[in-house]
Parts: sequence; C-alpha cells; structure tokens
Amino acid sequence: MNKHVGSKRPRQHWLVMNRILLAILGGYAFTYAFTAALARVLPMARVDALVAASLLSFVIYLSFILWAFAAASLRRVALVAATAIPLAALGFWPQLLEAVR
Amino acid sequence: MKGTLTQSMAWLHTWCGLLLGWVLFAIFLTGTLAVFDKEISWWMQPELIDRAQPASEAANLAHRWLTTHHPDESNWNVSLPSERSAALGVSVGERRRGGEGVTHLDPLTGDTLEPRETMGGNFFFRFHFSLNLPNMLGIWVVGLAAMAMLVALISGIVIHKKIFKEFFTFRPAKGQRSWLDAHNASAVLLLPFHLMITYTGLVIFFLIYMPAAVDALFEGDRQAYFSEAQPTLAAMRAGERTRPTEAPAAPLVPLGDLVARAEARFGPGMIGGLAVANPGRANAEVTVRPVLGHRIELTKGEAMVFNGVTGELIREPEASRTSQLIQQVMAGLHFAQFGGYPMRWLYFLCGLISSAMIATGLVLYTVKQRRQGTNHAFLKLVESLNVSVIAGLALACIALLWANRLLPTGLEGRLGWELRLFFGVWALTWAHGWVRKPMQAWREQLYAAAALALGLPALDVLTGSATDTVRLSLLACVVAMGLGLGWTAWKIPAVVAARKARAARTAPIDKTPQGVSS
Repeated sequence: MNKHVGSKRPRQHWLVMNRILLAILGGYAFTYAFTAALARVLPMARVDALVAASLLSFVIYLSFILWAFAAASLRRVALVAATAIPLAALGFWPQLLEAVR
Repeated sequence: MKGTLTQSMAWLHTWCGLLLGWVLFAIFLTGTLAVFDKEISWWMQPELIDRAQPASEAANLAHRWLTTHHPDESNWNVSLPSERSAALGVSVGERRRGGEGVTHLDPLTGDTLEPRETMGGNFFFRFHFSLNLPNMLGIWVVGLAAMAMLVALISGIVIHKKIFKEFFTFRPAKGQRSWLDAHNASAVLLLPFHLMITYTGLVIFFLIYMPAAVDALFEGDRQAYFSEAQPTLAAMRAGERTRPTEAPAAPLVPLGDLVARAEARFGPGMIGGLAVANPGRANAEVTVRPVLGHRIELTKGEAMVFNGVTGELIREPEASRTSQLIQQVMAGLHFAQFGGYPMRWLYFLCGLISSAMIATGLVLYTVKQRRQGTNHAFLKLVESLNVSVIAGLALACIALLWANRLLPTGLEGRLGWELRLFFGVWALTWAHGWVRKPMQAWREQLYAAAALALGLPALDVLTGSATDTVRLSLLACVVAMGLGLGWTAWKIPAVVAARKARAARTAPIDKTPQGVSS
C-alpha cells in the first residue's frame, strides 16, 4: 500500500482529489439521476416503482464509487458521471415539458 | 488508479476505513448499546418499580386515574408497562408520549411516582443516527459513514482473495499479523451481518438520502407518497385531525378490555400504549398501539381503533403492499425489535463484533504506519483519536451511567448535565490521549473504564436502588464488559514487550534503523 499519497508530486495529489470528488459528488449526481429515471420507467404502480428504484440506489452509488476508484481512466469516470444529464432528463421529462411550455 | 485493482482497492479500504472509522466506531458502539435502550432507561430510573402487571390491568388503572384527575380533557395518552419497560405513563392533551407532561404511576397501586429526569438509553439510540448534531446534519453524516462502511466492506473483500482460508488463520501475539488476523476474522465471520446492518440502516432513511424518485414522481411531496402507499394509515391520521370535539356524555368502555382484544391480535404483551380521544363523550375513540416488535416488519403508527362507547372495532391495520413490506422488513431487521430477548442478545453480540472489527482496523493502521515510520504529527493525531474514540467512548458511556446515579435527582436541567458530563469526559479522553504516550493512554483509559464498570454494582448498592431481573442483568453485562476492558488493558504490556523483542530481533537486518517501538 502506498504511504504518502503524492506527497512529492502535487499533480498526483490533485488527481487523487479529483477522483475523490468525482466518486462522491459525481457518483451521487449519477445515482440521483439514475434512480429518478428508473422510477419513471419501471412498469409498476408509481409507489412501487419509487420504492424499488430508491432501495436500489444505494447499490448503484456503491458500485459507482468502487468503480471510480478502480477505473484506469479518470476521463471515463467523468463521462459516465455525465450521463446523469440524459438520465435526469428521462426521469424528469414531465417536469421538463412543463418548464418548456 | 494505482496499478492493479487490488492496489486501488487497498488504498480505498485504508483511507475510507481510517477517515470514517472513528465515526463508524461511535455509531456501531452506541447502536449496539441501543439494542437495550429501554433496559438502560429502566436502570436509569430506579424510582420505577416492576410490578409485572398485565397490560390490561395497568390500562384499567390508568383509566381510573385519568377519570378521577382529568375527566374533561379531550385527549388521554397511556404508555403501558411491558417486558422491557416498568413505566406506566399517562398524559393528557395534544399528543404524545415521552418527555414533558407525562405522569408516572405505580402499575399496582396507582400512586404517582417521580422518576429522575434522565437521558436514558434513548441517548444511545439518538446518538446512533444523529451523533447529537443538529438533526439533519447528523443524519447525513451517519449516511455518509454508512456508505463508507459499504465501500470499506466490499473493497475489503476484494483485497482478501484468500478470505475463507484466512478466516481459519489466527496468529496471536504476533504484532501486526495478529491485528490483521483479528480484523479479518471479525470481518469475515460476520460479513453478512455487517452488510445487512449497514444497508438496512441506509434503508430506514432512504427517502432522505435518495429523494430522486419522490422528486421525479411526486414533485418531492413525501406526504403525497405516503398517503398513496399507506392509505389506511393516512386515513387514520386524517381522522384524528378532523374529529369533532363536542358530543353528549357517554361512559367510556373499560380500556383493559380493549387492550385484551388488541392483544388477541398482536400477541400477549405486545401492546405499547393507547390514546383516547374525547373520553366520556359519545364520539370517543380509542387507539391501541402495538409495540414495534410484534413482528419483523416495522410499521410505525399502526394501530387498532375502537369506538370508545360501544367497543366496536372501527379500523385495523391492513397488510402492507409488497413494496412497503420490503422496505419495512428491512427497517425492522435494523431495529431488531422482533424475536424477543434471544434476538436482542444476538444483535448485541454481533454489534460488539462489528465494533471490534472497526477498532482492530483502526489500530492496525497505526501499527503498520509505525513500522513504516510515517509522518509523525499525523500518526500522533491518529493514535490520539484512536484512543479517545475507542477506549474514551467506552469510558464516557460508563461515565454516563455513573452520572445518572451521582447527579442530585432534583437538579435543574438534569438531562443537560448528564449530556455535558458524557461529552466532557469524552473530550478529556482525547486531551489525555494527546499528552500521554499511546500505550499509556490506552492502558489508563481502559483501566479507568474497567474500574467504573466493575464499580457500578457497588454504586448501585450505595445509592440504594431497587433490584430486579432487568437491572441485575444490566449490571452483570456491564461487569462482564468491564472484565473484558480490564483484561485488554492488562495485556498491553505483554504486547509492547513482544514488539520490543521482535524489533530487537529484526533490527540488525533492517536497513532503515528507524524507531520501531513507540
């Protein structure tokens, strides 16, 4: 296990910080959007879809965080986190439509 | 991120476990104690006497007392004594149980009792999920810690490829290896429990932590979701709000009879309390609530509602829809209210082992870093936090029990003083851990905690408290933990000696002659 995380290389430090932020905040944003989208598309009564998607969200968040630290490329992690935008659009399309009108 | 998957997971496991390990230990230890929250409250109010009165008799007694003292109130509330609680509490007016305005009655004679004001075991329960921070902040910190726990568990599994083989390996008194083995054994032995308790903990507050689906489908209106998901409960609450208060006089049906009928449904001894609306009026309604643990599913607010004059059953709980059932069973698995005392003890032991796993992980970090000669200031900070979070918290918890007996019973704001003492002792242990050398700090705090734990029965005798099975069991349990703490403190010199011997053996070979011992 490494001892000094990039203590000699500020750039290394910066990369680690980025990854941590991406994992925690990017991961939450992704999970939030994913949960909203899943609740929207699940073919069940809406209270059931809500519970199913919400209960699953912790597993999604957990998987994202673990993968974010395991992934070789930081850019790929950022790209997946960015899919939060289309997912949110799917989850909140009625609200979006309302706003556009 | 650092080469192989194992390396990146090891890095994640270390930092996640270290930075949130302290919070996690505090959450797990107080959660373990909260398994017996009511028993601790019972012990902390020695003025209450166990009369082993059946709930229906106690309800009739409360009925008589309330009729005499508060015939004109529009709401009566009664909390019944149970296997886990000696208290018969009555209060009047707008809801509800606990805290202010509750009169405690002797369940046999009906005399009013004046139990001391105390944090009770409820303190551990509240601290467990809110850390006594302003409520929402605490809940979020605990949620973050729970996610970190899951991350640490899964990354821990990844880095131990030979996990099941290592489970059967224990090399005692071998310094770092022993700490690693203890950490691994406690982790693997109860892996399902660690995962279950952490995940279900998140599930309790699932809509707070992840409101996405409520935001998307219900415009963020949680109430709208609840009324759609649990229509019976919503109807009951709406009924409570819109109930008219004016009606002609009519005698109230004996409350004990209704308790007996509710027991037929929820099980004997499973009635937590009742609420009477408009007692003595023709539109009286009696709501009989079960205790949480009459089954695994955790349904708060569930109750049977009776007509208060005819005794006719107006409303009873319906089976939850499947999605609700799943969430509530998960919450119930976390709350551990079902299955009676055997289940409680099982959760308690599992919780202790979880706490031990976190503690050995935290210690393992310092043992490893000390060998590698890491940055001194950071290591000192970690060491002092380890001591005060692990040994210091144990000391503070036992100090709270002492404070409960030693503070004058009539003290103004007694509750606050108990709290201040708890946090004061805890803060002092950190200062102590900072000024003393690590091993001395560990020993002194563990010995202090052990001494307080072993002395608790004597204190109990000196302060002349009543004894019954629940209080004696609590004392026995505290003494057993005191013995464990004392044994740990007693073993520390041997551990230090073994380390010095190892250091002396390996020093000639070691190329970097850094100080290995503390």
